Amino acid sequence: MRPFTLNYAFPRGLTNVVTPYSFDAARQLNVLPDGRPAVSDPDLLLAVGTTTSTAGSQTHFDD
Amino acid sequence: MTVLILTSEEDVTADMVVAKLHEAGTPMMRLDPADLPGKAVLSAEYAHGDFDGHLSVNGHVLSMGGLRSVWVRRPGEPAAHAPHPSPWLAAETRQALYGMLHSAATRWMNHPHNAEQARLKPWQLRVAHLSGFAVPPTVFTTAPRLAQQFAEEYRDVVVKSASGPPPGDPGLALPTTLIGPDADFSAVAAGPALLQRYIPKRADIRLTCVGTRLFAARKTAEPGQVDGRYGETGHAWEAVPVPERVGRSVRDYVAFAGLAYAAFDFAEDEEGIWWFLECNQGGQFGFVELETGQPISEAVALWLSQRKADRRVPARHW
Repeated sequence: MRPFTLNYAFPRGLTNVVTPYSFDAARQLNVLPDGRPAVSDPDLLLAVGTTTSTAGSQTHFDD
Repeated sequence: MTVLILTSEEDVTADMVVAKLHEAGTPMMRLDPADLPGKAVLSAEYAHGDFDGHLSVNGHVLSMGGLRSVWVRRPGEPAAHAPHPSPWLAAETRQALYGMLHSAATRWMNHPHNAEQARLKPWQLRVAHLSGFAVPPTVFTTAPRLAQQFAEEYRDVVVKSASGPPPGDPGLALPTTLIGPDADFSAVAAGPALLQRYIPKRADIRLTCVGTRLFAARKTAEPGQVDGRYGETGHAWEAVPVPERVGRSVRDYVAFAGLAYAAFDFAEDEEGIWWFLECNQGGQFGFVELETGQPISEAVALWLSQRKADRRVPARHW
């Protein structure tokens, strides 16, 4: 029998977000193609959605 | 003295704190336990009557003697990126890494022991009661009859997961969902169900606690909206003051739980009461800071950089 709670689950859809930044091992943070830290562009981070409360739900349940 | 951040490389919320640490000139190392062994290297020695340990990754080296604090942010499973990952290798790597870190005299945000307990939803509700929060009536049960009785008593109840959606690919979403007493509760016997009285809300509140600093943000809800994480409302998060009574309860809660960081979720009802829903010991703050401008990452960086012990968080002594 399927647990009751799972009756209210649904597919998340496409979850693979292509992020316009990459990790800079020397600076230990993500940078944009022009070398600026990704966090210097708040509008971009909001648009990508990787800082939201559901962004980590697949691997961590600390939303 | 160095700050250690345990998180994945793609964690841009951690980047916000890394940037603040760089600005302040605070030495730091960012490590994903998933990269150990492999990209990261560990060595701990218990010899000559003393202990010492070292971590290195991407050319950065950290000695346990120079470890100021550990931020357990979004760490991967130990050894997950190894060429041949296995449960045994993960367990061995966890022993080596966390055993070494626990042997160091350092501050934790949050201490893993406290974090593990703080994740337990039933325990959260108990601590919330003791801290003086308004807590909606809730039941956890594997008894269909009790679930039915609860729903009949409170009429409008929500069901939600205690541990989040099940892992897997493709992923599932499991939002808090409104149900009525007419639901078929027989499947409650197949797994614990968390049912809670529905709080009609006019807003969601996210309160982020960093040490002794509190940052509250409010987002107006759509009529009938149940889970604030899902669905567009057309409203943005905005900074709001913390009511004095709520602030006292928050401080009591984190002191009792031994947490240096916590993100509280409340439902604000029509009378303005903030109902405690949950406390995420590792909850996200990036979206709140980006929308409200609240200096949460700066507060986290400052806490991690402090030399003194945080007397509010119980210290662990040998």
